[in-house]
Amino acid sequence: MNDEHDHDHDHEGHGQSASMASRVAALVAKLEARGILTGAELDAAAESFLTSTQRAMGPALVARAWVDGAFRARLLTDANGALDELGIDMTHWAKVKLRAVENTDRVHNVIVCTLCSCYPVALLGPSPSWYKSLAYRSRVVREPRAVLAEFGVELDPSIDLRVWDSTADLRYVVIPRRPEGTNGAGEAELAALVTRDALIGTAVCRV
Amino acid sequence: MTARFKAGDRVRTRAANPEGHTRLPRYLCDRRGTIETAHDVYPLPDERAKGVSLELCKKEMLYTVVFDGREVWGEQSAEPLSVSADLWDTYLHAEQPT
Amino acid sequence: MPSTHDVGGASGFGPIVREAGEPPFHHEWEARVFVLNRRLMQRGFYNLDEFRFAVERMPPEAYLNTTYYEKWFDAIERLLAEKGVMP
Repeated sequence: MNDEHDHDHDHEGHGQSASMASRVAALVAKLEARGILTGAELDAAAESFLTSTQRAMGPALVARAWVDGAFRARLLTDANGALDELGIDMTHWAKVKLRAVENTDRVHNVIVCTLCSCYPVALLGPSPSWYKSLAYRSRVVREPRAVLAEFGVELDPSIDLRVWDSTADLRYVVIPRRPEGTNGAGEAELAALVTRDALIGTAVCRV
Repeated sequence: MTARFKAGDRVRTRAANPEGHTRLPRYLCDRRGTIETAHDVYPLPDERAKGVSLELCKKEMLYTVVFDGREVWGEQSAEPLSVSADLWDTYLHAEQPT
Repeated sequence: MPSTHDVGGASGFGPIVREAGEPPFHHEWEARVFVLNRRLMQRGFYNLDEFRFAVERMPPEAYLNTTYYEKWFDAIERLLAEKGVMP
């Protein structure tokens, strides 16, 4: 399989997508005819999912951990309990257990799901296409440093790379390192430095 | 159900996967690792994938197991790393400490 | 049983392609498939492991040549047919 091939996946022609749209509509119409669910119900669910404010909470979680050592400790030992304190609900189709792993000056953590696409959706929203790509899933467990370099992350050789393959009912989130020069910054200001990729481990936070 | 392993125990993953759905990736088959965390009892996905109800489904301890990159990819592997996966009891054998 | 999905460590899938400012979904139907799947699982028509297994059972050529949400839709249709919900 070549690069072009994989590339095509995410940029399929308009015709293919139009035919998918009509197939999906046909299935929903059949489900509606049988009284199983309604299109309106699905639209409302999609709208509510896309407008959920909770997704901004990943960066807020990190900012709180950076300023509050006791919270950070709770987040690392009982992430769901710490999330409850911030009013974050990890329920997606079912409630899932979250585990936070912390980057330090000695360890850098990266998250993947090699078998499918497990991701902390309830916290971060739908995953980016690259996270679900065969290229990322196949490579990051074998050559994480090379993958991170492609993402523009150059780590000191002394830092250990830890890859977490999400194979079960746990979901992972990375607590990135707090950038230098942010002493005195407030939580909102700090949260603005935390990107989604930093929460997956494929970016570092910069001022 | 009591946990067969505790943090720090050495384990070896089973040599090959059976037919059907399972959650032990092939690249981690027949590899030695270390129990990092003994979590809790979870329904076995191999059975759940057959449509077995939550009530009737076999439940097993789930462990986070850490593997050294050299064990997984060979001594010549290009990058030092560790990789972990969350694995059910059925996927694991006890390994003598080295 | 195909193990096409089990790609950890495989070679040859090329560079990781990222899209700047990628939206949560590229098409409205993808969002629909996403919530449809969640709803069907919540209602107990099938569970998450059955869904994953349905995706994994796709023939290798199909698995490698379809987009993410095309795989999802294929799995949903197949599960509903197999369970007699939508023959």
